[in-house]
Amino acid sequence: MRNFELIGNFLLQLLPVINITLTVSVSALVLGSFIGLILTLGKIGSSRILRGIVAGYISIVRATPPIIMIFLVYYGLPFITANFFKINIEGWNRIYFVIIALTLLFSAPVAEIMRSAYLSIDKGQYEAGIMVGMNKFQIFYRIILPQATVVALPNYATALINLLKEGSLTFTIGVVDMVAKSQMIVSNNSGGYAWQTYGSLALIYWALSLAIGRVVALSEKAYQKKRQSISI
Amino acid sequence: MLNTDFMLQVAKATIKGVPVTLEIVIVSLILALPISFVFALLRLYSVKGGNQFVKLYVSFIRGTPIIAQILIVYSAFPSLLASFIGKSAFAIDPINYAYIVFTINAVASLTEVFRSALQTVDRGQYEAGTMVGMTSSQIFRRIILPQALVSALPNLTNITLGLVKNSALAFIMSVKDITAIAKTEAAFNYSFLEAYLVLWVYYLIISYAAELIFKSLELYFGRYRKQVKKRHYSNKEQLISVTTDKRRSPAQG
Amino acid sequence: MLKIRGLKKSYAENEILKGIDLDVKKGDVITIIGPSGAGKTTLLRNITTLESADSGKIEFENIQGDYSALTRQETKKLRQSIGFVFQNYNLFNNKTALQNVMEGLLTAKRMPKQEARTEALKALERVGLLEYKDQYPVQLSGGQQQRVGIARAIALKPKVIFFDEPTSALDPELVGEVLQVMRSLAHEGTTMVIVTHQMRFAQEISNKIVFMVAGRVVESGTAQAVFENPRAERTRQFLAETLVQY
Repeated sequence: MRNFELIGNFLLQLLPVINITLTVSVSALVLGSFIGLILTLGKIGSSRILRGIVAGYISIVRATPPIIMIFLVYYGLPFITANFFKINIEGWNRIYFVIIALTLLFSAPVAEIMRSAYLSIDKGQYEAGIMVGMNKFQIFYRIILPQATVVALPNYATALINLLKEGSLTFTIGVVDMVAKSQMIVSNNSGGYAWQTYGSLALIYWALSLAIGRVVALSEKAYQKKRQSISI
Repeated sequence: MLNTDFMLQVAKATIKGVPVTLEIVIVSLILALPISFVFALLRLYSVKGGNQFVKLYVSFIRGTPIIAQILIVYSAFPSLLASFIGKSAFAIDPINYAYIVFTINAVASLTEVFRSALQTVDRGQYEAGTMVGMTSSQIFRRIILPQALVSALPNLTNITLGLVKNSALAFIMSVKDITAIAKTEAAFNYSFLEAYLVLWVYYLIISYAAELIFKSLELYFGRYRKQVKKRHYSNKEQLISVTTDKRRSPAQG
Repeated sequence: MLKIRGLKKSYAENEILKGIDLDVKKGDVITIIGPSGAGKTTLLRNITTLESADSGKIEFENIQGDYSALTRQETKKLRQSIGFVFQNYNLFNNKTALQNVMEGLLTAKRMPKQEARTEALKALERVGLLEYKDQYPVQLSGGQQQRVGIARAIALKPKVIFFDEPTSALDPELVGEVLQVMRSLAHEGTTMVIVTHQMRFAQEISNKIVFMVAGRVVESGTAQAVFENPRAERTRQFLAETLVQY
């Protein structure tokens, strides 16, 4: 009983800083999707050099631990801007560095997901579209995209949950997010109630992950329903 | 510009942590394999209670960040252990806690991998096995399992890469892995970028080496999947097998 | 040798088999024909216990009783004395052609490895695939895979072999080689029960034809009787529709 009370109490203390987690995740989601889209275009494009660069980028990002990525961006970006562009960004809000690092991390799986979704669409439909007189854009927007979206959604959810979890490393460069806050609570209690505190932290993340999974599953259903009603 | 002498120094110091990082990855993987295999079977055969437990376990572990899992285990386990074996619990080498956390973490993803791999072997081969008089356990051991393991290999590669990357957080449990050493060097000399660049290279090398090993395993064990001759009719056959599978599905329950 | 009486099977509300009788004597080559959805494949799968029939009596060797009350031992015995050739071949993908044929000999018959190998090679030779013994299924054509499937069945020396549409998954140009193997088995006196849509082939090799519609046997008799003088109107209609294509 006491434990429930404690966890409830800790939840209330942690939730106010959830906005850091959400800001970081949503920003990286939007920016990472955009970069991922550009990478996808490079990867399915006709330029061999471009394809090679994109493949190399994805492979390196995939092999980089998120914490190392955050460190590299946090220490490397100011170094690059200072030495090559004579701009000092050391005074930037630290959260920007996390967002950039997570954007880079997220763009790689997004590119893979978009590419495989695109490839999963039968190209005969493209030819059929041309034969009924649609233009390239119409075919992409009306035929390819809706189908590719349905294929991509489940994997997108997984990538998004991973992004959310990687965002939990925000604290490593000194931003007070939920993880940092929970560590403060524990040290304020001189190390007491540690598992209850970190348990509360885990519960919040779990709820967020489940919510993402649920939203994506629902939109998948809605999409399929829409397609069904069209076909009838 | 970058201090290359210092980078060399970090490279030399960090190399001592490579065995620790590898140990964390390999030990956790070896511990996680049998556990997750049993978990996958609990799910597949819908074992009462076990099925629900595994479902909840997988959902929780996959839905929470590894850092939260580390903090929970690292704060809860020592005192939990102390209530059994007394004060000596606090003297345990922290790498053991790393094994525990990363095993717990890997089990969740591996369970899902085994579950889907065991499902990919089509039912027809099971039926063929019964018709040549094999028992269920013979079919499982000799036909289903070998194929499931091979089809699990690509995902196993990803999980191993994930373990390598997650292991970079072992320093939080005061394990002296490559990240811990590079961090110390960085802070001591106040040259962070150089130290982390070196550390990055280490992770890239370890990851690519792991990938290479798994790729060759895939090639070796997956040789029965390789087609020597060109089969122009393979598409049609796939179509047919899909339709018959569908037709039979109600009978399979 | 094999006697089936009143075999019934339903899925959910649908009764697929509405009481089938079938007699198989030693050396018989029986072909079951009929429109799709008649329950031919279901009949084969229920006779061979791949699916459990709702009711019906079986007499086979020293097994006697109702399908719904077969013991584990009896099921095992039944399966050991029959062979089955699947529509989709269902070869073990992780085993070579030779290993596919040896598998049942090693596990079910507990034959020593050397002996199993000899037997398996004999079976592969009978289907004309000796030189493909070390190929994996993906390296074989559909026709070759099905011939390995037949070799796997005959190696166990079953009393009767069931063929479930053995050529329907094959491209037309590969059908011939499989039929040729079946033809030679029939000439050697193998007892066979076949479901197929190859009407000319059925007419040629069968000594008995069973015509099924909607879960019932409408007509059965010698190949000559059924093909040349069908008694039932439904049979006439079916034969007119299908034979016209050949």
